[in-house]
Amino acid sequence: MTRVTDIICVFRIQFAGTRREVGPFLLAAFVFPAAMYLFANAVAGVEVAPEQSRLRFLAGSIVFSLSLTSISWLGYLLLENRFTGRLKLFATLPLAPSSYVFGVLVFAIAQAAVSVTTLLVVGRALGVQMRPNFPLLIVVILLTILCLCGLGVVVAARARSFSQGSLLTDTLGAGLIFLAPVYYAPEVMPRALRVFAQLLPTTFAARAVQTTLAGGHAIGNELLALSVIAVATLALGFKLMKWRED
Amino acid sequence: MTATIESLSQMEVRRGTLAPAPPREIAVRVRDLIKVYRDGTEANRGISLEVRRGEVVAIVGPNGAGKTTFLRQLTTELRPTAGSVSVFGVDAVAEPERAKRAMGITPQEAGVFERLTVREHFELFARLKHLSKREAREAAREVIEELGLSAETNKNVGALSGGQRRRILIGLALLGRPPLLVLDEPTTGLDPSSRRAVWSVIRRAVAVGATVILSTHYMEEAERLSDRIGVIAAGRLIAFGTLDELLVRLDRSYRLSYRDPIDPSSDLKIRYCASFAQAQQHIARELLSEYSIARASLEDVYFNLTGEPFDKDEAEAIG
Repeated sequence: MTRVTDIICVFRIQFAGTRREVGPFLLAAFVFPAAMYLFANAVAGVEVAPEQSRLRFLAGSIVFSLSLTSISWLGYLLLENRFTGRLKLFATLPLAPSSYVFGVLVFAIAQAAVSVTTLLVVGRALGVQMRPNFPLLIVVILLTILCLCGLGVVVAARARSFSQGSLLTDTLGAGLIFLAPVYYAPEVMPRALRVFAQLLPTTFAARAVQTTLAGGHAIGNELLALSVIAVATLALGFKLMKWRED
Repeated sequence: MTATIESLSQMEVRRGTLAPAPPREIAVRVRDLIKVYRDGTEANRGISLEVRRGEVVAIVGPNGAGKTTFLRQLTTELRPTAGSVSVFGVDAVAEPERAKRAMGITPQEAGVFERLTVREHFELFARLKHLSKREAREAAREVIEELGLSAETNKNVGALSGGQRRRILIGLALLGRPPLLVLDEPTTGLDPSSRRAVWSVIRRAVAVGATVILSTHYMEEAERLSDRIGVIAAGRLIAFGTLDELLVRLDRSYRLSYRDPIDPSSDLKIRYCASFAQAQQHIARELLSEYSIARASLEDVYFNLTGEPFDKDEAEAIG
């Protein structure tokens, strides 16, 4: 119970910190992925893009928004806490580092929920044909967030400076989207990159999101891969995020 | 302040996690504490000391002497290379979270959450100290009042002055009335009136049973607040005792301050004398006209032990 209270308090502290920035946050959460959706449609030929492609673009934009919230923004938040001395305040408390990470994670999930919902509404408004399998979609989104948050925590815990950390999280966030077959089919990628891209969490996430948006449920492999990556990155993140220095 | 301070054991007895035990006299026990950083810097070289319950201990020393390293190990923020730290009988090296339950800590450099209001800041951190909602509200109200921040209760912390933010950091340590307060340079950067307000807060905490360990650059602060003073230099605790005990270490315990009669515009000169009579003899011999004689102070002990004067600018700021 104490642990739950700790997590909720950390979440509330982070949430209160952004309540005056809800407007810019919603704008950013919506504008980047939505613009990427429109851009991808335009490049593919707005009117002639087949339904399957439009679904891929929407799935890609959802994964893009998850990458933004879970790596770039979460990483920024963790880095800010670390390099402005706020983390020291948490370190003075009888609080487990994992409770802190979970609290921040809940905050990232809340941000992602808003962002994904907005994109689904916009997708529907733009006429994307979808029959979302919501329970499965939620599972995929949660697992994707855990994978990406784990990476964000690792970068934020290891960065030597705020600027180095934010550069790394931005690069990682963008790289995982544009170096993976999120907006395009893997066949159009260079062969060497294709092998590498098949291992990226965003590849599994995009495939799983697209399948569930189409009403499918054959995503066992993707869920397994995302679970393994989530466990690995979070375990590493928890190991690196500690109050006590050596 | 009506609340009394519980020890960690008392808190655990109340929560049913520990059998009743007789009260311990020693609040903090440090043995042979050594800290060697990865780059080979020996920041602490075998520090040992004991702090009794209800005592105020000030740690002084030149910049880079190892004061903060010492306190960071005490608060479990830094793992010692060797040695032990026990807080109310709890091994702080092996059980940092349990040891921290007994501590209120103000780190030297910590940031506040600027977009939280003062009240939110205290209430949420009180909850993180495992106080119930009602206790957290009450603790926040008490601390806000005590620190003179009542007018700022609903203001965002970002709108406060540097001194007020520092007071918030001290207030966070006070939440829940922990039996041990560890304050790393709590009044650095504060104006004289804020500094005195913090002294009052510390005195009130001690009055209800808190043990306090603080580091400071201000000799006056150490003299006025503490029961015992530890001097750290080059990573070693070179002196530890009451002010009187430290003064006894001076062979020459009278300070004669004077201006050179040949060059009255020169800086004030200082000479230490074994007795008042010896100081008077010097005045007569040198035909001094502008002088003062005073009993040696902590500043003199500090200078004698470390070979370094303390920061005059900071001392003068005390007023």
